[in-house]
Amino acid sequence: MRQQSVRLRIWTTAILALAPPTAIVLTPAPAREPPRLDFNRDVLPLLADRCFKCHGPDGAARKADLRLDDAVAAVAERDGVRAIVPGDPAASELVARIRHADPEERMPPADSGRKPLTEQEKDVLERWIAEGAEYAPHWAFVPPRAPEPPAVRDAAWCRDPLDRFVLAELERAGLAPSPEAERATWLRRAALDLTGLAPTPEETAAFLADASPEAWERAVDRLLASPRFGERIASEWMDLARYADTYGYQADVHRDVWRWRDWVIAAFNENLPYSDFLTWQLAGDLLPGATREQRLATAFNRLHRMTNEGGSTEEEFRVEYVADRVHTFGTAVLGLTLECARCHDHKFDPLPTRDYYRLFAFFDDVDESGLYSHFTAAVPTPTLPLPTAEQDSALAAAEVAVTAAERVAADRAAAARGEFAAWRAAGGRIAAPAPIAHYPLDAIGEGGTLANLADTARPGAVLDQPAATEGVASGALLFSGDDNATFPGVAEFAHWDPFAFALWVRAPDRRERAVVLKRSRAWTDAGSQGYEILIEGGRLSWSLIHFWPGNAASVRTREELPIGRWVEIAVTHDGSARAAGLRIFFDGEPAEVEIVRDRLWKPITGGDPGPLTLAERFRDAGFAGGAVDELRVFDRCLAPLEIAELHAPGAVAAAGEETAFAAWLAAHDVPHRAAREGLREARRARAEILAGVEEIMAMEEMPAPRAAQVLARGRYDNPDPAQPVTAGTPGALPPLPEGAPANRLGLARWLTDPGHPLAARVVVNRLWAQMLGRGLVATRENFGLQGEAPTHPELLDALAIDFARGGWNVKSLLRRIALSATYRQSSHAREDLARADPDDRLLGRFPPRRLSAEALRDQALYSGGLLVEKIGGPSVRPWQPPGLWSIGWGGEYSPDAGEGRWRRSLYTYWRRTVPPPNMILFDAAKRDVCVARRQETNTPLQALALLNDPQLVECARALAVRAAREAGPDPDARLVRAFALVCARAPTATEIAALRAVFDAQLAEFHAEPARADALLAVGIAAVPPDADRADLAACAVACSVLFAADAALTVR
Amino acid sequence: MSRLPPGTPPDPREEFALNLTRRRFFGLGARTLGAGLGALALQSLGGSALARGLGSEPAFVPGPHFRPKAKRVIYMHMEGAPSQLDLFDYKPGLRARFNQDLPDSIRKGQRLTTMTSGQTRFPVAPSIFKFTRYANNQDGVWLSELIPHTGSLAHEIAFIHSMHTEAINHEPGITFFQTGNQQPGRPAFGAWTSYGLGSANANLPTFVVMITQGLGNMQALSARFWGSGFLPSEHQGCKLRAGDDPVLYLSDPAGVAREDRRRMLDLVGELNQNEFERSLDPEVRTRIAQYEMAYRMQMSVPELTDFSDEDEETLALYGPDVHKPGSFAANCLLARRLSERGVRFIQLYMRGWDQHGNLPGELKAQTNAVDQPQAGLLKDLRRRGLLDETLVLWAGEFGRTAYSQGELTTENYGRDHHPRCFTVWLAGGGIAPGVTYGKTDDFSYNIVENPVEVHDLHATMQHCLGFDHERLSFRHQGRDFRLTDVFGKVLKPLL
Repeated sequence: MRQQSVRLRIWTTAILALAPPTAIVLTPAPAREPPRLDFNRDVLPLLADRCFKCHGPDGAARKADLRLDDAVAAVAERDGVRAIVPGDPAASELVARIRHADPEERMPPADSGRKPLTEQEKDVLERWIAEGAEYAPHWAFVPPRAPEPPAVRDAAWCRDPLDRFVLAELERAGLAPSPEAERATWLRRAALDLTGLAPTPEETAAFLADASPEAWERAVDRLLASPRFGERIASEWMDLARYADTYGYQADVHRDVWRWRDWVIAAFNENLPYSDFLTWQLAGDLLPGATREQRLATAFNRLHRMTNEGGSTEEEFRVEYVADRVHTFGTAVLGLTLECARCHDHKFDPLPTRDYYRLFAFFDDVDESGLYSHFTAAVPTPTLPLPTAEQDSALAAAEVAVTAAERVAADRAAAARGEFAAWRAAGGRIAAPAPIAHYPLDAIGEGGTLANLADTARPGAVLDQPAATEGVASGALLFSGDDNATFPGVAEFAHWDPFAFALWVRAPDRRERAVVLKRSRAWTDAGSQGYEILIEGGRLSWSLIHFWPGNAASVRTREELPIGRWVEIAVTHDGSARAAGLRIFFDGEPAEVEIVRDRLWKPITGGDPGPLTLAERFRDAGFAGGAVDELRVFDRCLAPLEIAELHAPGAVAAAGEETAFAAWLAAHDVPHRAAREGLREARRARAEILAGVEEIMAMEEMPAPRAAQVLARGRYDNPDPAQPVTAGTPGALPPLPEGAPANRLGLARWLTDPGHPLAARVVVNRLWAQMLGRGLVATRENFGLQGEAPTHPELLDALAIDFARGGWNVKSLLRRIALSATYRQSSHAREDLARADPDDRLLGRFPPRRLSAEALRDQALYSGGLLVEKIGGPSVRPWQPPGLWSIGWGGEYSPDAGEGRWRRSLYTYWRRTVPPPNMILFDAAKRDVCVARRQETNTPLQALALLNDPQLVECARALAVRAAREAGPDPDARLVRAFALVCARAPTATEIAALRAVFDAQLAEFHAEPARADALLAVGIAAVPPDADRADLAACAVACSVLFAADAALTVR
Repeated sequence: MSRLPPGTPPDPREEFALNLTRRRFFGLGARTLGAGLGALALQSLGGSALARGLGSEPAFVPGPHFRPKAKRVIYMHMEGAPSQLDLFDYKPGLRARFNQDLPDSIRKGQRLTTMTSGQTRFPVAPSIFKFTRYANNQDGVWLSELIPHTGSLAHEIAFIHSMHTEAINHEPGITFFQTGNQQPGRPAFGAWTSYGLGSANANLPTFVVMITQGLGNMQALSARFWGSGFLPSEHQGCKLRAGDDPVLYLSDPAGVAREDRRRMLDLVGELNQNEFERSLDPEVRTRIAQYEMAYRMQMSVPELTDFSDEDEETLALYGPDVHKPGSFAANCLLARRLSERGVRFIQLYMRGWDQHGNLPGELKAQTNAVDQPQAGLLKDLRRRGLLDETLVLWAGEFGRTAYSQGELTTENYGRDHHPRCFTVWLAGGGIAPGVTYGKTDDFSYNIVENPVEVHDLHATMQHCLGFDHERLSFRHQGRDFRLTDVFGKVLKPLL
């Protein structure tokens, strides 16, 4: 489909033969003495594009040891030859080689993949050497200077200082700006650019009737004050933030991150300074006294894709996520292609790989997993809890209740001293505690059962017949790693339950990892949800987990588990769900433990965890060669002395006072047992409220940073221990400000320093592009050496400085642009502009462009009166062609029944593997990775969608209904009204005649075949007035459909 | 628009040169505006220089670098990774090693998926299927009893036994095969082909994707696999759906007849012409042309998917499932019809090859669905003289392990993912027929001869299409990207 092409540049064809390369087009008439070359504008792009691949910053790729990106290296003598001799082209080897007669010797080499230099380009390089070969740092790495607006001949044309910069360039090229657009055209333009919706006919009429000079200001201020503004600007930021409602990758499961979108909309509507907008998203969690909003903003860093594909290597994907954060930061905030430096030094920009991993280190210290949970709905950690107001107050009350219950237990303990003393004096004995289940594991019974001495009704069972072995007393089970023993119906403990296990184990050798006991569905596939005893690095760990690693309580012994002999292990949990409430015992003695994680607040019983199991888990390492004997389960937390007694009866005799007291309280004191039961209830009540609290992925620093190092070739499994790195900014950019911490907050402070070379320029450029279609730097995503040079470098700097010094005020900047003479120009093509500046780089006219995918649909809904204007909330599901989701997992898409069909498009549910087709067809970003600039295409599939998408057909018939309601029965009056609603201007006589022709012809058709009218009116769910003349209404709907497909509706002019 | 009759797509290279010449000399796309539209398009423009320059210039098409053998690709992707051990890579020696542990000297501690890395034993699972030796243009090739139809065409097919990949999980593995990179975001092979060769039929998309319905639906696919990445989105794969609306939004709305549509388009054209006269914006002209093209697509796609003009003999080639819309067989026949119509890249997805368990039973069902249709497609292309100009690739995203995942019995076993070696096959389009390439060790675990990387496969296929894979590039973010990244070599012995 060659002709179904991207934005077509038609005049270039005619001019192609005559026109020199772009850089020269922009220089003034050749008759005058050429001005001195500007290194950044004229020379560096050539060097970067043709030379740096082999003679640039990447040391590994460098040929002939020659470096041309560095002034000192370029002029140095090597083997008696100097590539560049300043002032002397004839002595410069560079000139000899680019002009070499022998194609084998000529640079750049034919097989380098670089385009040959044209004669003009060779002249530029030669002239630059003749002029002294002065280097200058790349413009984007130098802080913006505050330039004076240039002098212009037609000063009266300018309305804002920014216009002087634009006009000066036009005048330099001998061009005049275009006259002002018609007022209605300007209003439609401003309304679409600032709110994403066109003005109503009434708003247009009011504006046209306002004769005061402030009419424009008033109109812009009204648009900026509209809550639609936040929605419109947010949808641009969603592309950069790669916002989506699913995780992406294979299974592509739903996730709730819409509250972040709500925050973005609100931030733009409240005109939060852009410096704060960035700081909160990058580092809101690190701000002193961070608010919930500030933490919520950091979800920005977690919106990357995530996987749950079975069998994936967790670390591989974790590294991918960190890399995505770095790339997003690079593209959205710095305008740099940092990703190039992941595997090798950047080939064009001064960004060595080491600098990449210094940035990587800022985004690495998050307690996260590379996999989200396949079997549970746990939100990947770290998360921000988002309790409702009711939950907040219920939680406060529940917390009070827990504290009170703790006090009751403590008070009882204090009060019981006397009774304990009496009991002890009377010769009271601590007995071994009675288990609720006791599996001696002596032998496998009939049908693979395992006897339960404490509760014969609940025997255990074996899978794949573990072997028998000699046990502590009698027989024991010997596991292969693939077989197991399960114990249904017991030990289904929640994290508020006190409980304990005791079992004998014999490990054959030191294990890096082995599952000894667990109740949980799977390891990474379930986020480990449940409880588990593991061997990890030879040591024993005991954990309660909602989602590993960030929502768990876990301790690990300091000593390794003895191997080659029977050891009695006991573990206890006191019901607190805290690491301090988890204990491990070896042979009756408490083992010294370290806290691995201490952050459990969600349930551990979800995702169908199955029964208590020994020695095996789905997709985990089993206890191969391990033997287990005498498993006992307790439904309370055992005191140390009880465990000692369990291991070797008689321990009590040697016990000290406190040890004995604790055991007495646990085992004998009835009031304390009642107090503990009260505490358990209070904790359960609290936990049940917490279980209902929603969460969102957010950023939170780990207590200790991960050790960061360069990953050779960018591979997760290839860290280079010789290249450790710490968080820091790239060497080519300024260092962190004095006293700034080397974390994300320091990074945000660095970025929003008014002297930062990139941050303000990048955002100003993007806001400019939002209004004028194209950035001052056309490559919004790349301000590096391979990006396009700014068309108006001084204007970019002036805007950036004003912006950063003026409080990073987005609305104020957009207001300036909307009111400028530049923005007010007509968009009509002009022959002189077409010849001299076919791409409208100089802005001699307003550059027209098609409505965005979102605006196109929103405007159709709006003009048809269907749009439901409700700000924020979960994503909605408008109609889409059936069957699309069948390529993925997780069921078919079902459209919402009511208002969800008619909300603004930024709320449309975004499934990454199957994004909404009506958005993608019209060039919406796919939201897989950060995108700073959408493509602009014009294809037949767009034509099909405009005329056939049932969503738009529904809008067309709603518009027909509305036009009849508002303009009465006369067809022309209705069509005029419909046209004005859609296009925000009055139609011409020709336009109305065309629409009327469709209407009349169609009316005749529908009169002849009323069933067809009925069929058309049944598309979608919008109501049809019962008393409507159906043929007439359907005919009008067809005309409205034509109107939606018309250029007047589709293009911002 | 192409003025060549359907069914005779031109040599892309000549076509490209011709087009370039026309553009250069006439300054406007000679192939831009459709018949019937020309008059409308050129009326009332007057004689100004501005107007003379107007017209839709076709998007830049790099064109082939040398004379191509293949004009198009049919890529059958077997999602889930079919077992090379049970289909192509004959290892009779494994029978004697049934249930023995895979020797450490073979596994060498290499990375496993975390599905089996916790497994205690790695028992060797020989294929339970019989293999037969089929004559080819060398000393024959051993193939499984599961694919007799394909086997009967061994003389047409080049088997690569030494394919390997870096990915070990499906999503990265498929993404790598489709785009040359494990991480999503790069253009699909089909998009590169569309970009490189342009269209040979303006009424159909250049890159068409079909997904077999029914069998193996549990495997997830992503629209990214046929995305255009950073290439212009017109190059993205167009999914052809089974049923009434084969292309999204192709059908007119309920109640709107084809004549109505013609009238609507004429009047949209009038409105747009009006807008053009106000604004002189060339995009308006492009839009007018696109509406016309959409209309032609509405006419030509239904004809494409209507098999009523196929004779019985042809239908029989593809097997009985050919009458079931959305079946692999029906998609194979569609692939031939698309080939005839000049579509550049036709991709068939067949899911359900991920046999972690119950491999023997599932593999029978899978091969039963594909064997006759894919052989039928090759035969049909051959007898119509299309095979020599159509490059066919049959591949999964990796292979499967020699050891059993889960329980191994004499009747049943499963196999985990195995990226270190597997088999893909090619046919037609400049590929040497009836050869095998590369060898694996006795366990089909490691490659012992002529390893082939995914980039090598891509480079070789691009070569068949007339491209130097190092030169077919696109500038994005300041860098020239290509399908083969910085890797890839053309496999000369396969040409």
